[in-house]
Amino acid sequence: MYCYLYDEYIQENKRYERELLKIENRLTDLGIAGKISRLALFRNAEEMIRDEIERGIQTVVVLGNDETVRKVIDVVADCEVVLGIIPIGPGNELARMMGIPEGVAACDILSARRIETIDVGTVNGRRFVTGLTVPDFHAELTCEDRFRITSTSRRAALEIRNLADLANPCDGKFEAVIRAAVKTGWGIFGRNSLKESIFPMKSLAIRSDEPISLFVDGEEMTSTRFDIGIEPMFLRVITGKARVF
Amino acid sequence: MFKVKKHTVMPSTNSQETIIAQGVKVEGDFRSDGDVVIDGEVSGTVATEKFLRIGETARIKADVKAHSAVIAGEVQGNVFVSEMLELLATSRVKGDVTTARISVAAGAQVNGKLTMDGSTAKKEDESEE
Repeated sequence: MYCYLYDEYIQENKRYERELLKIENRLTDLGIAGKISRLALFRNAEEMIRDEIERGIQTVVVLGNDETVRKVIDVVADCEVVLGIIPIGPGNELARMMGIPEGVAACDILSARRIETIDVGTVNGRRFVTGLTVPDFHAELTCEDRFRITSTSRRAALEIRNLADLANPCDGKFEAVIRAAVKTGWGIFGRNSLKESIFPMKSLAIRSDEPISLFVDGEEMTSTRFDIGIEPMFLRVITGKARVF
Repeated sequence: MFKVKKHTVMPSTNSQETIIAQGVKVEGDFRSDGDVVIDGEVSGTVATEKFLRIGETARIKADVKAHSAVIAGEVQGNVFVSEMLELLATSRVKGDVTTARISVAAGAQVNGKLTMDGSTAKKEDESEE
């Protein structure tokens, strides 16, 4: 049984009306039509999905973008149901990496039902699928309580990748990538070039004397300490053949 | 087109490798299951069960342990390689070196005791079992 969750911006924007109609028709043709739930300002997405799961729903399909997926990721992972995505509109990086085309073409991918189990990252107890970034990184990383990593460069950025073009989300590890600007050459002929360090690991702590901002799946968090971990093989997702992993 | 390709005794790196590039400093007990490439600064200990490459810009103040290694930079500490160690012309090692097989390029500097025991690799394998 399928449950389709429409994000608020799709219902409000008339631009997507025709596309939605096509999708609904295609889902009916494929025999995978199901209950439609609509997200709204004062409706709790998690409660809605929990109610549906109690009624026997096994697959939750999100119609929206990465932000819509982020609203439901906790409940979908906890309840061990399968997550599907029909990407509509901008901001669909996650769907691209899972090999799901935009709009009505995604219905055929859902129907094929190629399920992969992937790792889910956590930062201070909050889950993420793709990764997080710290654009201005001047903190200290403590890795698995064994060694410390610091940047000796003035300009550095940190990226944690779980599901990315070059990261495998099924290996039980995430990648911590530090890009540091390093001057090469002498005097006025010197040039700054970005050097990339990569650390595959299972847990990581970021500590800083001053509050730092990081962006988790696009959403900003600010704190002086972040504990990052991974929940291996935790989320079941429907993917296409063109997935990046 | 018809050039003969040079075969190296060192394995090629894979996607699971750790890279410590310039501009990054690692302190403590660093261990890895996969290949490791170091071009930055490391102090403490470095250990990998696979291949280790220490670049020209690397500065290491640590005991180093690897299955096979290529050193082109500076190492202050003991080096233990169970299989093949390659010291390039730019390498400077200050510490004892233990390995099963070694290749030293002209210009490489080693200040320390070199121990080449054929049973090194075997002992390593036995202890793992």
